[in-house]
Amino acid sequence: MEGERIAECRLRSAELEAAISFRIPKSKFRICIMSRHPSYLGVFLTFARNSLVRDMTFRANFIIDTISSISWMIMNLGFYALVYRKTSHIADWDKYQFFVFISTTMFVNSLVQAFFMPNAEELSEQVRTGGLDFALLKPIDTQFLVSLRKVAWSSLGNFFVALILLAYSVPRIEGLDLTVWQVVLYPLYVLMGVFILYSIMIALAATSIWLGRNQSLYDFWFYITNFSRYPMEIYEGTWGTPLRQIFTFVIPILVVINVPARLMAKPLSTEYAWMAAFGLVATVGSVLASRWVFNRALKSYRSASS
Amino acid sequence: MNAIEIRQLEKSYRVYQKNEGLWASVQSLFHRDYREVAALKPLDLDVAQGEFVAFLGPNGAGKTTTLKLLSGVISPSGGEARVLGHTPWLRENEYRRRFALVMGQKNQLWWDLPAQESFLLHQKIYRIPPDQFARTRDELCDLLEMQHLLGRPVRELSLGERMKMELTAALLHSPEVLFLDEPTIGLDVIAQHNIQKFLKHYQQERKITVLLTSHYMKDVAALCRRVVIIARGQLVYDGSLEGIIDRFSGHKVLSLLFANGRMPGDLSRYGEVLEIVEPKARLRVARSEIARVLSAVLANHTLEDISVEDPPLEEVIAEMFSLSAKEEVVASG
Repeated sequence: MEGERIAECRLRSAELEAAISFRIPKSKFRICIMSRHPSYLGVFLTFARNSLVRDMTFRANFIIDTISSISWMIMNLGFYALVYRKTSHIADWDKYQFFVFISTTMFVNSLVQAFFMPNAEELSEQVRTGGLDFALLKPIDTQFLVSLRKVAWSSLGNFFVALILLAYSVPRIEGLDLTVWQVVLYPLYVLMGVFILYSIMIALAATSIWLGRNQSLYDFWFYITNFSRYPMEIYEGTWGTPLRQIFTFVIPILVVINVPARLMAKPLSTEYAWMAAFGLVATVGSVLASRWVFNRALKSYRSASS
Repeated sequence: MNAIEIRQLEKSYRVYQKNEGLWASVQSLFHRDYREVAALKPLDLDVAQGEFVAFLGPNGAGKTTTLKLLSGVISPSGGEARVLGHTPWLRENEYRRRFALVMGQKNQLWWDLPAQESFLLHQKIYRIPPDQFARTRDELCDLLEMQHLLGRPVRELSLGERMKMELTAALLHSPEVLFLDEPTIGLDVIAQHNIQKFLKHYQQERKITVLLTSHYMKDVAALCRRVVIIARGQLVYDGSLEGIIDRFSGHKVLSLLFANGRMPGDLSRYGEVLEIVEPKARLRVARSEIARVLSAVLANHTLEDISVEDPPLEEVIAEMFSLSAKEEVVASG
């Protein structure tokens, strides 16, 4: 018995050795051992971690950023609270329904600003200075690498304010019975909204590869968020209707907030059910379009003199 | 086997011709004149596996353009190139995990973070197994003597230290082909020497293929047996470093030390006088004349010492570059 066990142990250790010796890199084998696909999650988490480490190095800056973006949203909220003292409805949204709309805006904006905005902004700069060279060398999807390099953690402050606002407003909406579907679909549609905005943004930033410089991103972001932060019903009449149609079907920014907000605050209005279906189409369409633009642009990248 | 094969590779840019003045700027809003500039004229080149090749040429010769084409950063206007069997500008991941590009004038490490954080990111991107990653990193750090700098934010490192970090980051995934674009630019002599020593050792150990551009002849002399010179986007020379002198320099430098401090009056009959510090003289003599001049000098004067040398390499190359620049003026004029 004892002898058998020893033999077994020997066998085990031989296996172990074989396993270990196989892992000792000899330059020829190295390629085989390395997995062919980069770990996208691992890379993203490292980006997120490195950004946090960096943000913490400049602690004061981080705190000021967080406070200023939260105060801006709270002032916004205060403004609407004032408006609702004079009127009971904006379009057909009452106060708490509109607060849900605002929290949806805050969710989408904070996510876009935390994950994509700084990167889209930097892409333009990297094109001008030739810094994009390094992104193109890496064995990983370039759009992924460029889009998620930095995480602006301070922008996530508003995400939590939005959570509180949502939790406060939803129970106060008259006649609203929260269903499981709402709870499941709402975050999904918020994410879809984020993806639509991201797509528009990255496509726009990618045009700087052709234009040499495109620093209108922040302005553009300001216009878009200004436009999409109201219920779509307010765009009516000779000018309003075509505007609404363009920004629903051509550049789907009205879908971004309106669909998830309506889903949560006014789930019974069946005439907007098609919007929910369209939201999905718009998201897939936007992401594919942005990818196409991005890849086309990369082909014409000229780099900058060193 | 060839690691790099380049056939008729060329690159031209459409450049917007900007005229001087405000009015011209306003006009340029509506109408722009473009000009085609050839950064690289059709180039043919083969580099064998395990070779260490220097790429020389004046600024704007097309060296960096070639490296960027070979690393797939930019696409060519024509021609073909294969590196390890891949066409670089297709940007396949399989190719991208087999080479590295280091640029002396740009940095890819996170500026505000210690370099080790950037290394970890590379580990994730290239998916290097943890044990292999740790071993390679420690090995490189030992060779470059910078273990103690790993935890310091990159922005606080000196230029030389930063270059070492850049090199380490580029070599973590053990590339088979390495492109180095002026890796020693701006470094002091000691730092330059350290980088050279490291590159030499690393290349010999791993037998990787290296293409290096540099303006420092010391880099080239220390590292490369083969030198490729391009000027105005064209290949002008491909051979050994010593061969450059044989081929492009038609003269030698003759140094004479006269005995008893007796300097003869007229030395210009032997060749062009470069310098006279009594009792020494340096003369520039045509290569074909050297034997005749030597015997004449020895017959006519008493000498304490005599030597015949090749002119300094820098001088020859500078001469060659300025010659090619003049040709360009003639050609375009």
